[in-house]
Amino acid sequence: MLEIKNLHVEVEGKQILNGIDLDVKSGEMHAIMGLNGSGKSTLSNAITGRENYNVTKGDIVYKNDSIIEMEPDQRALAGIFMSFQYPTVIPGVNNTYFLRAAVNAKRKYNGQKEYDAASFLKLVKSKLKEVDMDSKYLKRAVNEGFSGGEKKRNEMLQLLCLEPELAIMDETDSGLDIDALKIISRGINNYKDKNRSFLVITHYQRLLKYIEPDVVHVLIDGKIIKSGGKELALELEEKGYGWLEQ
Amino acid sequence: MNLNDYQTEFNKLIAQQSFSSDSHPQRNNTFSKFLDSGIPTKKWEAWRHTDLSFLNKNNFRVSRPDDSQIDSIDISNYKIANTYTIIIINGYFIEGSSVLPKELKVSTYTDKNNWNPKNKKENPFELLNASLSDSNIAIVIEPNASIEKPIHILFLCTGKDNLMINPQITMDISRSSSATIIEQYVSDTSSFFQNTSVFASIEKNASLNHIRIHSNSDETANISGLHVTQSDDSNYNYFQLVDGGALQRSDIYTDLEGKNATCSLSGLTLLDKKQHSATYITSDHIMPQCESSQNFKSVLNGHSSGVFNGRTIVREDSQKTNSKQSNKNLLLSDQAIMNSNPQLEIYADDVKCAHGSTTGALDNEALFYMQSRGINRKDSISLLIRGFVSELINDIKSEDLKNHLFTRFDRWLLNNNQ
Ligand SMILES: Nc1ncnc2c1ncn2[C@@H]1O[C@H](COP(=O)(O)OP(=O)(O)O)[C@@H](O)[C@H]1O
Ligand SMILES: [Mg+2]
Repeated sequence: MLEIKNLHVEVEGKQILNGIDLDVKSGEMHAIMGLNGSGKSTLSNAITGRENYNVTKGDIVYKNDSIIEMEPDQRALAGIFMSFQYPTVIPGVNNTYFLRAAVNAKRKYNGQKEYDAASFLKLVKSKLKEVDMDSKYLKRAVNEGFSGGEKKRNEMLQLLCLEPELAIMDETDSGLDIDALKIISRGINNYKDKNRSFLVITHYQRLLKYIEPDVVHVLIDGKIIKSGGKELALELEEKGYGWLEQ
Repeated sequence: MNLNDYQTEFNKLIAQQSFSSDSHPQRNNTFSKFLDSGIPTKKWEAWRHTDLSFLNKNNFRVSRPDDSQIDSIDISNYKIANTYTIIIINGYFIEGSSVLPKELKVSTYTDKNNWNPKNKKENPFELLNASLSDSNIAIVIEPNASIEKPIHILFLCTGKDNLMINPQITMDISRSSSATIIEQYVSDTSSFFQNTSVFASIEKNASLNHIRIHSNSDETANISGLHVTQSDDSNYNYFQLVDGGALQRSDIYTDLEGKNATCSLSGLTLLDKKQHSATYITSDHIMPQCESSQNFKSVLNGHSSGVFNGRTIVREDSQKTNSKQSNKNLLLSDQAIMNSNPQLEIYADDVKCAHGSTTGALDNEALFYMQSRGINRKDSISLLIRGFVSELINDIKSEDLKNHLFTRFDRWLLNNNQ
């Protein structure tokens, strides 16, 4: 599904990623762990095509095609989704309206019939239940006046409506209380299937109590320095990152 | 136009005998005041940022009664559903407008004895309007009347080029009455100069919703003065849309002369090419316990430029004043310029006042967020701009009017996001 080869990324003239290799197969869940500033969000942004995240070397291949020249919306239509670490507030743009525009863009791309307002509302309401979110958030502007946890649920809601094949969860767990954490992990577990892959980014081990990654990678200074099974996360929890840095 | 050109037009108008000779001395007097003051230049503080070159470069002539005799006029494009419509073509009132309810008196006149220029502020263009004013309308709402349907005054320039039109409107909203008045300036001719003065008096406990739409063609100059006085417990809501004209300047004065009155002013300016638009406001809190707000937004594209100059004065006796000013501007091109200047002058101590101003380009974070959800860049930009303006338009109460404004906005957007 996703193959990253020797990826080097520069942001505003600063080299941040220094040769990342990653191979996420269909149906797999990979976790990326690392301290603040190690380059986790940079990796997510490079995969989703954010402006100014320049690939200086290496490649990102999604479903057998290089995507590094593609616009962010083209990558999204092809099935890539990122749950933002810091979701953006968009004043004046209604949350439901925005979500419908996004879902309809995808349906159009797939040659499916677009939703009208009424039929879309039905769909959203059913998804709302899955993330235990109050319907009042549908009436607001996108992420406006949402608490940290509400923003993350809104990201999850978007994921459920857009049905991506590759979902990147950038610290979706950070700052969540235990109830919200359970809801988000349940969402991830229910969504996961043999055709859908996850890249779960976190710097706490606590999320891994609720989800089962197939592979855990440790990112330090823009390089993956160790990969292993779930037990690697436990080891990090016990020993910290120091022992790996040598 | 220079002063000689204005003199020539003034002489023509007098000779044309459109007005009763009774009014001539007063017009002569006002016109000589205009000549004394002259046309504002950038050296004048209040005109420092207003670019009048379009007006100075072009020549316009006063309209004659026969200018309104146009063979076929199609006003269907400009109609707003569910309104009483009053039609002024090339400066002259056209019979056959709507049948009006009896609580609403509308008189239109170009001469008569009720000619009564009020020139409180003596801005040169208001002096010019008072000496040349041709298409005049007086609207009187009787006490305790509530007129549900908006009163739509349509100023249309059509068929003739280079006309100079000087409408003057007085609105008298009597005690405990309420109404909605829409002034709409539109044209299908390439060029003209419109210089409007409006005087609104909102009496005790009365309420006026006032909407002004400047949607003129590209080669036009539109200057307008607006004077509002408010009595106790009155309510005034003003909204302006500017999406046309080469040059547009509004001078708005609201005098809160009664206690416990509320005055909310808002506006949306949509500019592109070399358009220039300036809005100058003075909200004067003369009495205590009043509330005023200014909420203006502009979207500027191309080489356009805009000015927002909002001034709120809170006088010594105006305790418990509550006032807000906000000016937000979106620049779609690197060449567009906005000059924003909200000002507070506070002489009372027990008041709540806030002001803010922001000017910036489209939010790249928001654009990336939208694109990352599969919405292409162009549509994302449209959504963002629509989001920026919709807050203002959504506040308009009449659904038909709201639709009309959104239609105008969508048309603008179509031309400016390609
Ligand atoms: N837009 C940016 N401009 C400049 N430096 C950046 C930018 N984004 C991230 N960085 C830098 O890149 C490094 C990695 O950041 P990031 O990818 O956000 O780390 P993480 O998500 O692992 O906390 C940090 O040193 C950070 O300061
Ligand atoms: Mg991060």
